[in-house]
Amino acid sequence: MTDVPLPQIKNTIQDRVVLGLVRFFKAEWSGAFLAILILGIAIELATSGRPFFHPSNLMTILNNSAAIGIVAGGMTLVIITAGIDLSVGSVVGMTAALTGYVASFWGFPPYLAILTGLTIGLAIGAFNGSLVAYFGMPAFIVTLAGLSIWRGTGHLSTGAQASPKLPSTFDMFGRYNPFSGLRNAYKEGELTGFWNSVGGFVDDNWINFFRTFQMSMLIFIGFFIVLTIIIANTRYGRWVYAIGSNEPGARQAGINTPRYTLITYMFCSFSAALGALLFLGRAPYAKSDYGQMWELDAIAAVVIGGTSLFGGRGSLWGTFMGVILLKLINNGLTLAQLDTFWQMVVTGLIILVAVGLDIVRQSKNPESVRKLLGAIGAVMAFLALMTPASIYLHAKIALMEHGAADALREAGSKLATSQNARLLSPDEIGQLQTAASSNIAATLLLLALLIAAGFCVMRTSRKASFGLAAAFVAMIVPISMMGYQITAPFLALGAVALLGSAFVHALFTKARRLDVNAR
Amino acid sequence: MKMKLTFAGVAVAALMAGSVASAQDVIGYITKSATNAGWMMINQGAADAAAEEGVNLVSVGPAFQGDLSSQLEVFENLVAQGAKAIAVAPVDSSGIAPAVADAMDAGIPVVAIDTGVDGAEVTSFVATDNYAVAKVQGAVAATLIEDGQPIIYVTGNQAQSTGQERRNGFTEAFSAARPNSEILEVPTEWNSQEAQEGVEAILNSRQDIVMVANAWDGGTMGSKAALENLGMAAGDVKLVGFDGAGDAIAAMDDGWVHADTAQMLYQMGYQGIKAAAAAARGEDVSPRIDTGFFLVTPSTSGVYKAMVGIE
Repeated sequence: MTDVPLPQIKNTIQDRVVLGLVRFFKAEWSGAFLAILILGIAIELATSGRPFFHPSNLMTILNNSAAIGIVAGGMTLVIITAGIDLSVGSVVGMTAALTGYVASFWGFPPYLAILTGLTIGLAIGAFNGSLVAYFGMPAFIVTLAGLSIWRGTGHLSTGAQASPKLPSTFDMFGRYNPFSGLRNAYKEGELTGFWNSVGGFVDDNWINFFRTFQMSMLIFIGFFIVLTIIIANTRYGRWVYAIGSNEPGARQAGINTPRYTLITYMFCSFSAALGALLFLGRAPYAKSDYGQMWELDAIAAVVIGGTSLFGGRGSLWGTFMGVILLKLINNGLTLAQLDTFWQMVVTGLIILVAVGLDIVRQSKNPESVRKLLGAIGAVMAFLALMTPASIYLHAKIALMEHGAADALREAGSKLATSQNARLLSPDEIGQLQTAASSNIAATLLLLALLIAAGFCVMRTSRKASFGLAAAFVAMIVPISMMGYQITAPFLALGAVALLGSAFVHALFTKARRLDVNAR
Repeated sequence: MKMKLTFAGVAVAALMAGSVASAQDVIGYITKSATNAGWMMINQGAADAAAEEGVNLVSVGPAFQGDLSSQLEVFENLVAQGAKAIAVAPVDSSGIAPAVADAMDAGIPVVAIDTGVDGAEVTSFVATDNYAVAKVQGAVAATLIEDGQPIIYVTGNQAQSTGQERRNGFTEAFSAARPNSEILEVPTEWNSQEAQEGVEAILNSRQDIVMVANAWDGGTMGSKAALENLGMAAGDVKLVGFDGAGDAIAAMDDGWVHADTAQMLYQMGYQGIKAAAAAARGEDVSPRIDTGFFLVTPSTSGVYKAMVGIE
């Protein structure tokens, strides 16, 4: 609509890359995807043995994401309508327990037990949805009550006892491997010709690939594909977004909002019941305490995936990525054998980073992107700093604790065994003092770098960013010579982030121009 | 929240009923969980002892496993309502200490069951010595493998003394016997899903793991599910359990589990309430009652099953 002629898109590689970046960051799932990528690379560097990015490891993550992923899929729709469902974890527990119960103790054939479970899910959804849509009760309260009611009902109806092992039909939702029959036939020597060579191929690559190719993963991916198609191509899908962004407006436009709200809650609880079946397919037995805290994990996955808690905006693939990110954290930190308490801290930090990436992405402001890259540089400097600083601080703190515990003992207070452990022998004191003094030089050097990086986040010129990146690279040599080679990747990564931050403004200007033109 | 209030309400109502009957002493019993298979056995022992002693047992549990605040609330209610003695399985050894100290000061005997109290005296502590039993578990596990073969250890909650003692005992005894074997840890908060996913992740990335030892039998069952998910058969990777829960013993009979150090769970509840009732009557009670353990292996599983009444 403008008379000023726009610059033409040249078909250069540079322009294509810029346009590709723009398109990527427009997608709601890009924040979670980037977090997955960064975390994956970090874990890859931290783990020994088989690489983290190995198909069988990735499929294991998908398999273990499947149950909660489907729960989170239903939750996404509820949150897009600006609602919330806190009862999903309890619904998982109750349907899992009751499905297993009727299959084991009432002699229901498996398909009937499965049908019972799914029906219970729909019924609970109808209950929640009616209260929200037709009685005007707040979704938060209705489903908070449900969280308690359905968990309690599950415990009551099964006596909170585990069921015996379930019939193998349930494996079809979980651990069943479509290739296992072929492999067994190959091993028995029943195959000939073409199928024999296929069977041989499967058997050769069993541990590396086919072993983890299981139903959980296939159902998980299939569920999201089908749901995405439905949401993108039906009236229902459009109305879910309409209800979320402006409910009164949607009603005035003639949409039967209560009915579609009810359907959405029914679908959410149905997904929870389906998730319970997927979980049963991999679990040792059915029990009513399954799915505890899943409501929080599901909501976290939805939000990490770029869906707004205020409704009207969000995507299913974002949730898909969000679930994978959460499971990836567990899987990766276990493989990296990180200390338990650190795992808790790191899990929270990664969630913050993922949501932070998403907020920066939405702001479309070059300055906040530059700050983010600068902050990554500063974090890298911090990680490098902590290598010598942690030894220094640990020694200093241990000496201080010894002093304080000693003083307490002198004063005559009784110490518990765990507190006595803070007292040190003269030998240990000597070692700690050496450790503290030998690490102080590197600590101070890297602290200076961290402070400079901190200033660079706040305000900087392009030249300062270049200078700091150079300082990061220059620092690698003396620090490595002091015996901290392990910090080299952090410093290198920090330098890359800072170099990137110097180009952000130029890149944004170019991208805006191209993007306007591309429309 | 709702659950907590319900529990508190039940406690008060039961106490009122107790005071009407008045012939019976009221013993408060604060359990750690009403849904965990192992805890159900302990609770059963407690109920049987109360029936035998002719005391009125008021059992209350936290809203969910690990909920300290609801335990504290229930504890204070029981003291205020004049329970003659309190048996408690603390969810947090030091968190419960101030409430225990208050009760003891008020002259109400407190018996700690399963988990000790850190920072306050109790009348008696009735439990398996987790550290000692875990050392036996570690030593037995070591005999099942060669030195140098790596294993997985599924931990319990490392913020609780039970989880810490079991891990330390196992690790020390195992590493002493098999110094070159690597121990990969799967951290959990007593959640079998975490055990299953962690074990699956490690087994999938490493082919050389020969054994999975577990801090409790919920973890053993989660580990077994992980092996099944990877299409393994019984015995491919050995399992070692802790607790002697019925389903783990059944898995032993099928060839999955090779050793399980069983706590005498029923005895823990039974002797705990016996001690509390005796203390309520003013009798002397031993300050430490060790309820012992039983090493279950495929050759002793028959004896164990007969002893605890598993068919």
